[in-house]
Amino acid sequence: MFDLLPHLLNGLTLGLLFALIALGFMLIVGLMEQINLAHGSLFALGAYLAMQFTGSRPPLPAELAKVWLALPLGWRYAATLIIAPVIVGLVGIAIEFCMRRTYGKDPLYGLLLTFGAAMVIEEAIRLIWGTRDYVLQVPQGVSGGFLFQDLVWSTYRFYAAGIAAAIIALVWLVIEKTPFGATVKAGAHDSEIVRALGINLTRLRLLVFVLGTMLAAVAGIIVAPIWGIRPHMGVDAVIPAFLVIVLGGVGSFWGAVVAGLLVGLCVGLSGAYASEWSLLSMYILLVAVVSVRARGLWGKKSVLEA
Amino acid sequence: MTTNSSAPDAARLVTPTMIVLWLVLATVPLWITRVGLYPYLGIEILIWSLYALAFNLVLGTAGLPSFGHGAYFGIGAYAFGLCQFNLVANLWVCLAAAMLGAGLAGALVALFISHRRGIYYAFMTIAFGQIFWTVAIKAHSLTGGEDGLLKIARLPADFGVVAFNLTDNTALYYFVLVVFAVAVIALWRLVNSPYGRVIAAIKQSETRAAHLGYHVWLYKASIFTLSAAVSGLAGGLFAMAQLAAFPDVMSLHQSGYVVMMTLVGGGLVSFWGPVVGVFVFLIARDVIGALTNAWMLYFGLLFMAIVLFRPEGIAGAFAAAFQKHTLGILRRQGHSALRLLFGGERWR
Repeated sequence: MFDLLPHLLNGLTLGLLFALIALGFMLIVGLMEQINLAHGSLFALGAYLAMQFTGSRPPLPAELAKVWLALPLGWRYAATLIIAPVIVGLVGIAIEFCMRRTYGKDPLYGLLLTFGAAMVIEEAIRLIWGTRDYVLQVPQGVSGGFLFQDLVWSTYRFYAAGIAAAIIALVWLVIEKTPFGATVKAGAHDSEIVRALGINLTRLRLLVFVLGTMLAAVAGIIVAPIWGIRPHMGVDAVIPAFLVIVLGGVGSFWGAVVAGLLVGLCVGLSGAYASEWSLLSMYILLVAVVSVRARGLWGKKSVLEA
Repeated sequence: MTTNSSAPDAARLVTPTMIVLWLVLATVPLWITRVGLYPYLGIEILIWSLYALAFNLVLGTAGLPSFGHGAYFGIGAYAFGLCQFNLVANLWVCLAAAMLGAGLAGALVALFISHRRGIYYAFMTIAFGQIFWTVAIKAHSLTGGEDGLLKIARLPADFGVVAFNLTDNTALYYFVLVVFAVAVIALWRLVNSPYGRVIAAIKQSETRAAHLGYHVWLYKASIFTLSAAVSGLAGGLFAMAQLAAFPDVMSLHQSGYVVMMTLVGGGLVSFWGPVVGVFVFLIARDVIGALTNAWMLYFGLLFMAIVLFRPEGIAGAFAAAFQKHTLGILRRQGHSALRLLFGGERWR
């Protein structure tokens, strides 16, 4: 049993990260009934931007760059956690403006549109940064490792899992406990009534979409030191995100979180026995669950099924 | 305005469009180098056209969003190679194995997904596509892993009395053209058969089709299996053209390309749409790709524009322009009985 502990912990931290990756995707699916296939590319874009900002050549005017570089890495990292998602959020605005035309049509159009957007962003990343791998620097305090039970543990993994848990809790608070969340949910439930009450639903949808894309960028920054930064990371993120949502059930917040943890545990534990095949385990888990429960763990009926 | 519902052509075995297309395709090796392209591109276009037409059985005819179709194309390619190495090195057997392998994989997947629709369907096809892709990459002993299955031979086409050597690109082109022609006529008949009509009805409304007494699940499963098998045939030809089979074609990206080709061409409204899309995609790849590294960027933007403004694709836009034109002429000639002539519904 004790041999499994590292794999269990590894799986749990991985699970929290999966849940974090799926979070922005889930917001957009759950509250707007739109699939954002560009989620992965925005995730990658966030990581690349963070790498650029924390690196030795930030994309700033020369004087500003000097001041910026004089700051300790910790400060720069913290600031990047805000700057990069904001820039990605701007891209999100552009995508939402295109996507508006597809609202009310077959959800397939939104999916195809964002597939195109994903391709454009990924190609742009390749053009700007090339195809080589990069490393995102993290502050001293959270890098390195520590000894526990005669094993070396990576500090960053636990830091990342902690941040993921905090962000999940924050998003839950915003959706469930604020007037903003209530309006957004009402808008998803019955857009006509919400409009009739004089609420600007167009702006609200834009906000939700931008929030979703910013969460993608945050996830990208948090996950980048573990997965590395390369053009393919977008696809590596969007598929698990999609999987977590389908497994947890469209429209269920805790479904997504639990599914994320399940997927993480599944990948972590199967990694203990057959590391080559561990990624396959999540698809098998999905097929097994969805064969029994057609809408995932806690899914609701959605227009996306039609 | 779907071809299968509107055209009186539907009943015909061969249409004027087909004859023109065949003439163009039959002469490709004669002029393709003169316009600055190369013979291999012709082979590629035919193979991808076959693949896109097979894919469109699912997307366009049945309205089922499949995003993991690359898997069946790839399985066809691997099956072709493996059959050649381990079973018999006979072209017909190997092509049959490609169809059979992909068809079996398709049938297996269809078992799990045919009761689904919409986004769940789309995602399940992605998930299964990823499973096959992962297996292709990880099962080194069988597939050669990421290096691919190399040294696949272009087997001679043996007709008993006479055998053709296909190692030359022109010879292979004509062979692929013949296979393509046979497959296209078969698909055309299939789409316009009673079976195809039921599939189209299911696309419009599953519930209605079910209430009319059709076994919707069986139809959905069978069209998916058929589509996978024909994709496998295309994959087998591709392995022969490339002299190898790579896991690349099974990735999510490449599965996405066939969706893009089909939609850009107008697969949702026209039987020939996917072929148009493949032409545009591959020629754009070579022409824009020669000018800039970022051709995918521009093609992605074009794709987004098409989804937003012309979801019916090039074929749809062309048909619309053509109809407007003919309508205009008829109006000028004072035909007030347009609706009588054209049966009302279509022109609304």
